[in-house]
Amino acid sequence: MIFTQHLTKKYGRVTAVDRLNLSIREGTVFGMVGENGAGKTTTLSMLSTLSTPTSGHAVINGYDVVKNPSAVRHSIGFMPDSFGVYDDLSVDEYLEFYADCYGVDKRVIATRRSDLLERVGLSDKRSTYVNALSRGMQQRLEIARCLMHDPPVLILDEPSSGLDPRSRMDMRGVLRGLREAGKTVIISSHILHELAEIADEIGILRRGKVAAVAAVQVMLQHSSSQRTLWLESRSDPSLVESVLAADGHVTSMEFRDGGVEFVYMGTYEGQSELLAALVAAGVKLTQLTERATDIEALFLRLTSEVGGSSHDA
Amino acid sequence: MMRNPILLKEFRQRMRTVRAPMVVTGYVASMAVLTFLLLYENVQGQLYLIQPSRSEQVFFVLSLLQMLVVAFLTPAFSAGSMSGERERRTLAVLLTTPLSPFSILFGKVLASSALQCLLLMASLPLYSLVFLFGGAVPQEVVAVLLFQLFTIFIVATISVMWSTIALRSGWSTVLSYATVSFMILVTGTVGLGLQSLAKNPVDGFAASWGHTLLSLNPLWVEAALENAVHGGTLPWVTFALFYVIIALILTPFCLWRLRPQWLRRIPGATRMNERNYQ
Repeated sequence: MIFTQHLTKKYGRVTAVDRLNLSIREGTVFGMVGENGAGKTTTLSMLSTLSTPTSGHAVINGYDVVKNPSAVRHSIGFMPDSFGVYDDLSVDEYLEFYADCYGVDKRVIATRRSDLLERVGLSDKRSTYVNALSRGMQQRLEIARCLMHDPPVLILDEPSSGLDPRSRMDMRGVLRGLREAGKTVIISSHILHELAEIADEIGILRRGKVAAVAAVQVMLQHSSSQRTLWLESRSDPSLVESVLAADGHVTSMEFRDGGVEFVYMGTYEGQSELLAALVAAGVKLTQLTERATDIEALFLRLTSEVGGSSHDA
Repeated sequence: MMRNPILLKEFRQRMRTVRAPMVVTGYVASMAVLTFLLLYENVQGQLYLIQPSRSEQVFFVLSLLQMLVVAFLTPAFSAGSMSGERERRTLAVLLTTPLSPFSILFGKVLASSALQCLLLMASLPLYSLVFLFGGAVPQEVVAVLLFQLFTIFIVATISVMWSTIALRSGWSTVLSYATVSFMILVTGTVGLGLQSLAKNPVDGFAASWGHTLLSLNPLWVEAALENAVHGGTLPWVTFALFYVIIALILTPFCLWRLRPQWLRRIPGATRMNERNYQ
């Protein structure tokens, strides 16, 4: 559905995107992560026909972005990272305007608009002027705007940026809805763990290149079978060490600050059994917690384990 | 034309504000007061003194004043139309829709000249007073009205184009008012100056250039349409041709701003020039 080959964009001597290769299947939600300046926005800008590649190719829904930009525009809904709205239009008028831009049939507009406003939770704001909506509501309205012409592909650049936690949660709900609707979505973000909740596949961009690509499901399975745990007790550390060492799933123990940090490579049932073994051995436990997984580190480690950085999604 | 989504949106945005009816009311009221004063001054309060020639003078002054007002008013509505989209960060999304740059520009031009056209139409009944006292013929009024509408359209077109080319509304406003100043002040003063020079020693060069420059002045062309000055057989043709050519020259620059990819159709244009305007 989305395919790029050696996609490159140069601004003078600066190479913003460097021979980018992507292959995103239909119905996939693809997350694109990277630091500021990694080339995410430039890539999305080329895919949305706003700028032209210096070299290479990009094909969306079977149409080349350079050779057939008009067909590409019909196939995509684009939400830029920093967008403005027409303040003095009502929500209904705002969506109608964009539907008219795509030549959507007048009879279709009314029903589709109602359906989309319902989906993004703005059905009670139809007559409200856009400037009276909160930032979070405006961003959800933008998603509805992207969908007014029912495109098969959505290109969303940082759709959750600048939102408070509550609005981010609402936005995640809307984005999950897109996946259920079978849309092919490419989302950029600089927050990996947020994308992991929505995306099917994730690619990391670094200095205009794809550093790694992996399926989120593989990452989640991996993270659930490998956890870093922190244990504190009022017992002798050597006793704790002997019990932990006896469990075949425990690796890399480190005693410090009155506790022990260790990696547990096993299921949650196995972890319960380890806990029972510690109690049975007389260890007086005061705390057992799971340390937050550095998902990016895990992601990079995982992609190198599965055969280095695969440049194709 | 009404299927143009930009035009419909702009009408909604512009006409629902308090400013639109206030401008129309204020304009028509001012013109009505002025018409009354001109007529009153002409007859010194003695209605039997009304003569067709004086009534024609009233029509002449009114129409020139109207042209002056709309010419200077038009950039105020059009100079920020495209740069404003960019500043509001709505342009990028607009450019990812299938709308062509021409339909975007066309919608902007029509929308930004609509209010001035409305002003002209709303002030038409005032001319009926002139008809009441004789002097001006209907053909003259129609010709003046059409020329005024054309001038509004051309000023709006050039202003929208400046607004597309310039990155900031401030710059596009300066360029638009510079254009209107050229049309009215520069061509008027230099043209009349050259013509007055030509009167003393017989100087065909100065006379011809003076006439050419005056042909680019909407006030002078309008006066020629009213037979107040001698403007040749078709005084408006040079005017229309010149400003249409200016608009045509600006068109590729507008396209370059809106769709830099189109540069590739021009032989010799490099991809280096394809920068993002949005």
